Amino acid sequence: MRGRTAFVIGCVLAGLILAMAALSLVWLPYDPSDTTGGRLAPPGDGHLLGTDKLGRDLLTQLMVGARIALTVGIGSVLLGALLGVAGGLLAGFASDWLDDALSAALDILIAFPTLLLAMLVVAAREASLGSAVLAIGLAMSAIVARLTRVLVMRVLAQDYVTAARTSGTSWPRVVIEHVLPNIWPTLLVNLSLQLGLAVLAEASLSYLGLGPPPPNASWGRLLQEAQATVLTAPLGAVAPGVLLVVLVVGVNLLADGFRDLADPTRRRSR
Amino acid sequence: MTSKFVGVIAALALALAACGSGGGEPGGGPAGTPDAGATIEIGSLYEPQNLDNTAGGGQGVTEAFNGNVYEGLFKLTDDGKVENLLAESYEVSDDGLTYTFKLRQGVTFHSGKALTAADAKTSIERVISDDSQSARKSSLTAIESVEAPDDATVVVKLSSRSISLVYNLSYVWVVNAEGKDLTTGEDGTGPYRLGSWKRGSTLSLEPFPGYWGTAPANGGVVFHYFTDATALNNALITGAVDIVTSQQSPDALAQFTGNPDYKISEGHSTTKLLLAFNDRKAPFDEPLVRKAVSSAVDDAKLLESVWAGHGSVIGSMVPPTDPWYEDLTSVNPYDVELAKKQLAQAGYADGFRFTLDTPNYDPHPTAATFIKSELAKVGITVDINVITADEWYTKVYKNHDFAATLQEHVNDRDVVWYGDPDFYWGYDNKQVTDWIEQAEQARTAEEQTELLKKANRRIAEDAASDWIYLYPQIVVAASDLSGYPVNGLNSQFYAYGIKKG
Repeated sequence: MRGRTAFVIGCVLAGLILAMAALSLVWLPYDPSDTTGGRLAPPGDGHLLGTDKLGRDLLTQLMVGARIALTVGIGSVLLGALLGVAGGLLAGFASDWLDDALSAALDILIAFPTLLLAMLVVAAREASLGSAVLAIGLAMSAIVARLTRVLVMRVLAQDYVTAARTSGTSWPRVVIEHVLPNIWPTLLVNLSLQLGLAVLAEASLSYLGLGPPPPNASWGRLLQEAQATVLTAPLGAVAPGVLLVVLVVGVNLLADGFRDLADPTRRRSR
Repeated sequence: MTSKFVGVIAALALALAACGSGGGEPGGGPAGTPDAGATIEIGSLYEPQNLDNTAGGGQGVTEAFNGNVYEGLFKLTDDGKVENLLAESYEVSDDGLTYTFKLRQGVTFHSGKALTAADAKTSIERVISDDSQSARKSSLTAIESVEAPDDATVVVKLSSRSISLVYNLSYVWVVNAEGKDLTTGEDGTGPYRLGSWKRGSTLSLEPFPGYWGTAPANGGVVFHYFTDATALNNALITGAVDIVTSQQSPDALAQFTGNPDYKISEGHSTTKLLLAFNDRKAPFDEPLVRKAVSSAVDDAKLLESVWAGHGSVIGSMVPPTDPWYEDLTSVNPYDVELAKKQLAQAGYADGFRFTLDTPNYDPHPTAATFIKSELAKVGITVDINVITADEWYTKVYKNHDFAATLQEHVNDRDVVWYGDPDFYWGYDNKQVTDWIEQAEQARTAEEQTELLKKANRRIAEDAASDWIYLYPQIVVAASDLSGYPVNGLNSQFYAYGIKKG
């Protein structure tokens, strides 16, 4: 019951941001680069949440920011899942020495701070949406790969898999018929948690000026830009912060809900 | 070891003196009478890299030391005039190639050594030497030789006339370079000597008892260094500092406005925000295109966005504190229709696309965002490329590998750079180069002013760059403070006149 409530709340919170982002694709209150508003205009009077220093509508910026947060979040989760699951499967199935080598590589990658990795990526390429996705996705793939490897090994130790392997079932079929069906629920829960972390990572990168360049209105950069004016126009800093919390909490609650649904022991207990 | 000990004694003596004047004398207490023993706590964002301005000390060492610890033969006053300082008088030969300076007598260095012409000679040679990193080195290239025929006379010989010599010498500190590492210590002639420098935190100056001139109006100053403007303003609110040398955000002012405990002053700075085109390369090699871009950007609106009513729009490179200032804001007025017409004339009726190299610190990203949105209205697409200060130096300043860039230029009298076709923006106009050269060789200040006015007008007509606005210089101080400099000329900050109480 408790799990169900959490799931519903998670759906509502994450859905809110998703709706904002989706709406921004077809309609925005103002053009994002429209600077016709007054400097730091208070809420109301044509601008529901007021304006920033340049006179741009804050609500418009926040909606564009939702789109960027979700693009980077989902993009890096897809990248992380693709690389991570592939790497994890390889390590799980591989011979001893290859497994050792891969595991060592993953440990190094995990020990590397995400932000430092992101700075390297940005230095090698340029500060852009793509670089952010690449950096966050890469860092995430290591965590996903390690989890996948453990899950794969657990499945491979099962008697029915041994039976299938001895009866000559090919590797791809073992993966598709036995391994993936058994590991995806746990992976899904983990990936949704990773989505929340990715959104936070993107905000941190943008805050540091390493995310998508201006004029892309990332929440992280909105926070950074509003820092100097927090005393005169607090909403500029509060609003992106609140949305960030809403999205991350929502996604985490969703992950909790997935876990309850996916875990057979919990399902039975209800 | 010994000097540290002396420092402690001096500090103790100071503290005792402060106690004495506060408790003993009846005049020390009541408000309205300045307390000559009070230490002034100054908050700043610019800590020196080292203490030598010929070894890359940065603007921090100028702020703390110029006029306070070190003095030049001349000084630039807070309102931009050049006055005699260690030079009592000077004469110029008829051909303008020989300057003879008479030194002030009775001046001693903080180490006790008397000032002689030989010190002035070595000081000038330090700045123009090959390994000097002084920002002023390039303006002193006309100097052929420096001689010290006797203890009180310095003779400077030039290869060509240089009317700015005296002004440029106001940036040449007279130092006693013997037996001291000037990157960590000092030996100057100024009203203060260095107390202690705790890196990353404070730098204190204490009055020099053997000073030749008027003693400071306070009992010493301490510069407190911050890396964050918010922390700096909080220090002012809690009383940890008495004054903040330069406010960088108008929004921080809200907490001081209308509060009787603080005074806010707005003076002139010499810092200009430039949209600098690469005048060598298409499309910005065409003056009409540059003019169109200048007219398409509403400078006043951007100034309002960044500085909320502070600062001013200038229309060309020369700020009002330079003698050759002229209001040129009407040369390339904000006029979108005019911009479109000029673009069509230049063959860019459908606009074009260019990359704007933008330093990653404020206010450049904000300005870039605004410029992108303004230029979109005339069909020009801007790609913002955010780069670090180091990248800017290599890519733009050294390699000239850019289409257009944003940069703040802090110096006064720097319009002369438009006379150098090899400068990073590559403005190459023979007439302007000639005018600027002739101005330097002018016989009178009037002649120089006339020529530089002409050059300044011509670069504005050519829109050599887009001069977006001039920064304000905002100083916030506790209301019991007076006598502090209000203009931010070249980031100097004379502290000897500051009174408390």
